[in-house]
Amino acid sequence: MVNDTGQLYTIEGIAAALIMLFSAYLVLSATSVYTPGDTHISDMQLEQLGTDALRMMNTPINSSSAKSPLQEIVETNNATYFNETFLNYVNNKTELKTDNLHYSAVVTYRNITNGNTTWNYPLSSNRNLTGGEHPVRVTEWVLANIQAGSNVKQNRAILVEVLLWRD
Amino acid sequence: MTDNAGTLSIDFLAGFTIFLIAFIYVATLIPGLFIGLQSRTIDYDAVAYRTGVILVEDPGMPYNPSWENLDDYHKGEVLRFGLAVSKDTPNILSSQKVDRFFCTTWTYPDDYRSRVIFGNYPYMFNISFQPAGSNLTRSIGDDPPDEYGYIRRVVKIKGISNASIDDSTIQTYKFNSSDNVTTDVFSIHLNFTNLLEDEPNPAYQINPYNDQIMVNVSGMNAKVIPIPPITAPLPTNLTAIQICRSKPISTNLHPPVVCFANFTSPIVDNNQVDLPYPIENNLSLIIPPGFITTDLADANTQLYFNLTFDHYNAGILSEEKGYLNSTGSGPFEYNYDPKNITLPKLQDGVLEVSVW
Amino acid sequence: MAGLNDDAQWIVLMGFVVSFSLFFLAMLLNQSTLVGQTTAEGVLDFPKNDVRDVKDVITESVMLYTSGRDSPSNATVVQLDIESLALSRKNAVVGYTPIDEIALPTSSDKHTRISIHYNNGVTEYNEYWTSL
Repeated sequence: MVNDTGQLYTIEGIAAALIMLFSAYLVLSATSVYTPGDTHISDMQLEQLGTDALRMMNTPINSSSAKSPLQEIVETNNATYFNETFLNYVNNKTELKTDNLHYSAVVTYRNITNGNTTWNYPLSSNRNLTGGEHPVRVTEWVLANIQAGSNVKQNRAILVEVLLWRD
Repeated sequence: MTDNAGTLSIDFLAGFTIFLIAFIYVATLIPGLFIGLQSRTIDYDAVAYRTGVILVEDPGMPYNPSWENLDDYHKGEVLRFGLAVSKDTPNILSSQKVDRFFCTTWTYPDDYRSRVIFGNYPYMFNISFQPAGSNLTRSIGDDPPDEYGYIRRVVKIKGISNASIDDSTIQTYKFNSSDNVTTDVFSIHLNFTNLLEDEPNPAYQINPYNDQIMVNVSGMNAKVIPIPPITAPLPTNLTAIQICRSKPISTNLHPPVVCFANFTSPIVDNNQVDLPYPIENNLSLIIPPGFITTDLADANTQLYFNLTFDHYNAGILSEEKGYLNSTGSGPFEYNYDPKNITLPKLQDGVLEVSVW
Repeated sequence: MAGLNDDAQWIVLMGFVVSFSLFFLAMLLNQSTLVGQTTAEGVLDFPKNDVRDVKDVITESVMLYTSGRDSPSNATVVQLDIESLALSRKNAVVGYTPIDEIALPTSSDKHTRISIHYNNGVTEYNEYWTSL
């Protein structure tokens, strides 16, 4: 009953289909879809901008022995001054245009009285993190005379960590 | 034998159907190949980032003597632009370098491509700079199209130091002698050892090789009161600016001061003038950046600029109380004392690079 | 060979041609698309700002100690701060000359010398730093 006259046709058809599917798979798995790739570039731009801004805030204005604005902010815990200065640095563009970046900053320190663990306290933020943003983390070391996790007020090295994102 | 019955065999149909389904499926996958192929835009961001780093974190080449002090005739010797004060102070720009960078000596795009953009592909670009608190945006290049690579850098610009000498300074340092003299000599002292060692950080340093030295004197009232029959007051003339120096050598660490040259066409009141130059109320003297070379003064030199004011006017000597005379009290020190000098301050700014 | 039916040859051959040309085109175009992505990844991976920043804070702390504005015990507290915060928050091993081994400047040698070490697992940085 079964006739094997058309075997070759069928086999050749299947072979051709398999070849095409296989090469298409190879080719497509080699290219990646660019949406995730693009975020590397915008991440890099944001990270460079954030570290620039923090670094400029940590530069004394008049001479190398003076205190930098960021040192004073950490020592006096002045959130409004940090907010104003940081947003100014990060959102100003040329030709008086502005960008729309948001941030959330904390101060991280070593807690000497609690077994040298790492604790932090919030410094300033201009929007609460909801979890849907794609933030970039930038940090800056600051030598400040504060009392953090110890019984005395002395020169300590702390890390100001800022999460920066674009709406 | 060919069959002319007008029907195709089932086997052929089955084979052809499988083939066609597979082919159509593959054909629908082809547009997915081209989704992300925006290679140009991605490359532009990389070039913009690199250009931003070269401008903001590198002092440029040649570094010593600095490229911004080369004149237009030697512009071919500039190998690479860089706006930073030094390689140890990234993001701190030198205002002289920024001015020179935006000068019209350089043609867009060729001069810039070989000195800051680099690469074989002829990129178009736009570099814009805006200091904080200013409406003026300086920029090089065309306006960017819809898709371009971009980077923004936050910077600080190192300002210019200047010495302001007014009535109170003169009283404090006793720069006005009360004798009647025909000429007054006022000496400005640059102690290179102090200038370079008291503030070793290039971002705050007064560097006489690369920065300008500016002295502003106000309230001079330097008019010569004539003896009758001449009724109109005559001006005092700035007749000479002598350059004197004391360069220690191994055998003599405190050699005498030797005056060896004259500064023949100085910049007074913002213009290059010829001496003698009449002075009335104010005097603004600028020693331009690049004038003091390492040959003229090295890191141990004491350099003096002696300004000579002549009251002997048209053969008429008259009463004049000596004004701005430092012979009795010692030269004016151009150092880091905030009573004497307004120190260079850092001002914010933003630099944007767009490449397409 | 005479009995073999070669009617489907063209279909198979065209299949080969189409798949190979697709493959070739995609390989070619694929090369250029990776340029920017790997550059941005490379920039993100290299800890340029981390190294500069940690070096700045270390030299600031050491200069405070050698100029007498900070006591040795305080400078040691800062040293422990830097080392532990770098490890826990920056994922980097940072080390520099212990405070009691740093030679204070004398009249004959005004310079301070320390050795700085940084390693974040991908990049390692070592420097012998001398003050100006």
